[in-house]
Amino acid sequence: MKVPVSWLRDYVDVEMPLEELATRLSISTAEIEGIERRGVDGSGGNLDLFRVGKVVEAVKHPNADRLQLTKVDVGEREPRSIVCGAWNFGAGATVAVALPGAVLPNGLRLEQRPVRGEISDGMILAEDEVGLGSDHSGIMLLDETEPGTPLADVLPLEDHVLLVESTGNRPDLQSVYGLAREIAALYELELRPAVEPVADLPPGPVEISIEDYDGCPRYVGRVYEDVGIGPSPVWLRSRIDAAGMRPISNVVDVTNYVMLALGNPLHAFDLTTLAGGRIVVRRAAAGERLRTLDGVDRELVADDLVIADEERAVALAGIMGGEETEIGDATRTVLLEAANFEPYGIYRSSERHRLRTEGSNRWEKGVDPHLAGTAADLATRLLVTLAGGRLTGHADVHAGLPERPVVRFRPGRADALIGIETPAERQHALLERLGFDRAGDDVVVPTWRARDVKREVDVIEEVARFRLEDVPNTLPARREMFGRLSREQRLRRRVEDALVGLGFAETYTPSLVPDDETTWKLPEPISVELTALRTSLLPSLVGAVRRNVDAGARRIALFELARVYLPAGELPNERLRVAGIAEGGFFHAKGVVEALHAALIAEPAFERAEHPLLHPGKTARTGAGFVGELHPRELEGTWGAFELDLLELFAGSREPVVYEDVISYPAVRQDIAVAVPEEVAAGDLVAAAREAAGPELKEIRVFDVYRGEQVGAGRKSVAFSVAYQSSDRTLDEEHATHLRDRIVAALAERFGAELRA
Amino acid sequence: MTDWEAHEQDATREIASAATSAEIEDVRVRFLGRKSELALALRGVRDRETGMLLNGVRTRLEAAVSDRERTLADEELDRRLREEVVDVTLPGEELPVGHLHPITQIRRAVEDAFLGLGYEVRDDREVETVEYNFDKLAFLPTHSARSPRDTFFFDGNHVLRTETSPSQIHVLEQQEPPIYMVSIGRVYRRDAITATRYPIFHQFEGLAVDENLTLADLKGTLLHVMRALYGPERRVRFRTHYFPFTEPSIEPDVSCGICGGAGCRTCKHSGWIEMGGAGMVDPEVFANVGVDPERWVGFAFGCGLERTAQLRHDIPDIRALWEGDLRVLRQF
Repeated sequence: MKVPVSWLRDYVDVEMPLEELATRLSISTAEIEGIERRGVDGSGGNLDLFRVGKVVEAVKHPNADRLQLTKVDVGEREPRSIVCGAWNFGAGATVAVALPGAVLPNGLRLEQRPVRGEISDGMILAEDEVGLGSDHSGIMLLDETEPGTPLADVLPLEDHVLLVESTGNRPDLQSVYGLAREIAALYELELRPAVEPVADLPPGPVEISIEDYDGCPRYVGRVYEDVGIGPSPVWLRSRIDAAGMRPISNVVDVTNYVMLALGNPLHAFDLTTLAGGRIVVRRAAAGERLRTLDGVDRELVADDLVIADEERAVALAGIMGGEETEIGDATRTVLLEAANFEPYGIYRSSERHRLRTEGSNRWEKGVDPHLAGTAADLATRLLVTLAGGRLTGHADVHAGLPERPVVRFRPGRADALIGIETPAERQHALLERLGFDRAGDDVVVPTWRARDVKREVDVIEEVARFRLEDVPNTLPARREMFGRLSREQRLRRRVEDALVGLGFAETYTPSLVPDDETTWKLPEPISVELTALRTSLLPSLVGAVRRNVDAGARRIALFELARVYLPAGELPNERLRVAGIAEGGFFHAKGVVEALHAALIAEPAFERAEHPLLHPGKTARTGAGFVGELHPRELEGTWGAFELDLLELFAGSREPVVYEDVISYPAVRQDIAVAVPEEVAAGDLVAAAREAAGPELKEIRVFDVYRGEQVGAGRKSVAFSVAYQSSDRTLDEEHATHLRDRIVAALAERFGAELRA
Repeated sequence: MTDWEAHEQDATREIASAATSAEIEDVRVRFLGRKSELALALRGVRDRETGMLLNGVRTRLEAAVSDRERTLADEELDRRLREEVVDVTLPGEELPVGHLHPITQIRRAVEDAFLGLGYEVRDDREVETVEYNFDKLAFLPTHSARSPRDTFFFDGNHVLRTETSPSQIHVLEQQEPPIYMVSIGRVYRRDAITATRYPIFHQFEGLAVDENLTLADLKGTLLHVMRALYGPERRVRFRTHYFPFTEPSIEPDVSCGICGGAGCRTCKHSGWIEMGGAGMVDPEVFANVGVDPERWVGFAFGCGLERTAQLRHDIPDIRALWEGDLRVLRQF
């Protein structure tokens, strides 16, 4: 909310430096997101050059049809001669004048100068020229004031606006008065009353019936007759403008002014447009229609709370009024609504109709039902003064207003939670400044905090926020704790580090992708690109690689470690995966996957497979996922790709490792070459060899595949290097030969292999 | 009769003056070879005295020759190597160098800081139920985060988690206090993509539940973590705030590292930088998971990793962290 400092000064003496005030409020009350300067720069005596003037003479400029030549009394011996382009005034008007030397907010410094041959010794001001508003249709007309009076005495000529962050727990801070109350409490200053109560309320008649007290706990209705609709005075317009709203007309401005001042949104109806002249607060009939002030024809549902007359809905309660009953230039009789609405219902209607207003924002946070009477009084005083209205009717309908909550409060408990001692008397004193009353071991909560302060801890927060700057830095006296990564977390780091070591750059891509036929799809995405939760990392990586190709990058190798979201019952199965794409073909990618397994102390197994993004002849499945050459349709060139499930990878890891003695008894190394039919896979030969030789076969690796005349057509020679080793004895040649014979026999039997060497 | 003393002196002189491997070989053949005077004489020795004399000469000359050979070989190797000079300013072989994403680097720094405090690290599901994302965290029914305008809803009951806070509920349901944990992962908000906002980002969320914890313990913990992330000079201050699941709620600020607190563009001239949200666990949250709020006290805090990365590395546009551009990634 935007709070003009000049307005705060109506209620509390703000004399401290604003920067200091902003810091203190930010720490203890609500964040001040900024301080805007508004209007005229008051430094260097500039304000002295702005005065109230009285026009003593106004005639057409002799040399210009569009200009007036005026004499204006600014409290000096002689009136000043001023040329002016506006025609909304004449002799006798009270106006705002800037004298030569004055600097306007736009930086212009006024000088005495001739205008079409006539001296102009100053400037008569429009509101936009001094930053009080945006109106430039004419000059500002002021209430009659002694000429020569400093303009700053009657208008907030130089002002600052505090930008106050709003939080859901403090509806009372959605008002100028609420912030003034906090400032008074923080600085131990006097808080002036918001309004003098209206004493002699007329007995009626205003016909109001509330059919739903849950949705509308209170409705104060007041009727004003002989109202004259017109513009509001400059001071009020400028306050509304400073608070970020647009001035419209006096009656509407008063409702907005009171909302800004006190935090209770109001609404004004033209009473003559209300059928039966009465107000009914009820739920909408299903299908009922209402054209709201924004020109939208809305269909209502039975959950919408409406303000209705005898026949139809005339306002969406608390959110927006209807077009048919709005205040117009011809309005003479006004029905003012100062009601109270329940937050959740307003929230639901506001969501349903996608309509957020200054009013609904306040109701949603929960406005104090006690406030409606005060708000009606402030509005009454202003409508009588500014619009000439006569208060002729009053009604206050409710089913009892809520009592102030009584909460147990132990100052010692506050000390224990905050970690700093504050004497009990001091705690009570600051609570009292915030409007709490002490009642033995309890405190009585002020009405405007009743929603937020219900438990002891809520009261403790009130004490804490006054002491935040004094809270020391300590650490918990921890017991039974030991910080360490889990096995999965350690291995995850190892995967990342291994890939970095292999030259891959890690990338992050969005978990949301264009719709890829998954079941986890957002019904209302913010863009087609971010629509569904991905079930594979590779498509996003292909996109990242493509962007790098387009940018001319060399030696591209990217990996990502992130989740996929696989459909599974009520919630998706969220699995961590690692995927990579790098320049090079199938065997490069496979080498990466093998290296990754080696880093994890795991042995991969590969078998031919197919994958929609990968080359149909160059794709393998492992226990943890896929590796292959990227399908050329995906990306031009030769690219290796893999995508592996982390938990599956970790399941195959022998971490933590159990030591094996590989030093005491040396390994025996041999090469074996066999000829087999072309279609036999090398991996199957290796698996069969392992099975045949048992655990003493420590290593086996294919180092050559040869095709040629010596081998014969349809056959190939596959050469292995093998190492046999035992951890409890030295293997002799005889035993090595025995193992070799077993391998050769198994290969011969299962694959028709012939030993070549 | 040969004067062996003079002979040895001649030989020693010639050995010393041999300048190349060939010359020394020539000298060796001449003085020690099979047909050398010394060899012939040794073959004809008949008496013990002469034998000892000649053997002594031979041993000394052999030693001198092999000394000289070594010296010459060293000199020749040295000479040859000096001719193999390369332009050492030419580039080295281009080996692949990988890079960890800056968010991963910060994730690890955060993990390490908390491990040092004895915390365990966890992460929970990203697709959450309304119950865990809002209800059990005591969000009011009117809280704006419950609106599909702020949050990604799959249906009335399932959302992409809007913060890592549901981890608090999960851990409290799974473990008995005392609990010290930090949860790190992706979270989602319905924000338009700009230089400072991205609908997907990362948070870390800490939770401590123990007896006798205080707001001062929270402050000290955050100070430790901020110093671990940003350096030992940093200070932390608290501002009051509101979060549904903490009471009191605060926002921690860390003193600006660019200006040291004097005020600059980065800290919007305040000297302080907002770090996230924190507070003492609301008793209602404890009640929702069956933890006795009279016995146990908790504090919790959350903070964005992207924001930390932006501050640490002065990254002006958050989108750079999501585009996979190697020109960006290779800087880290």
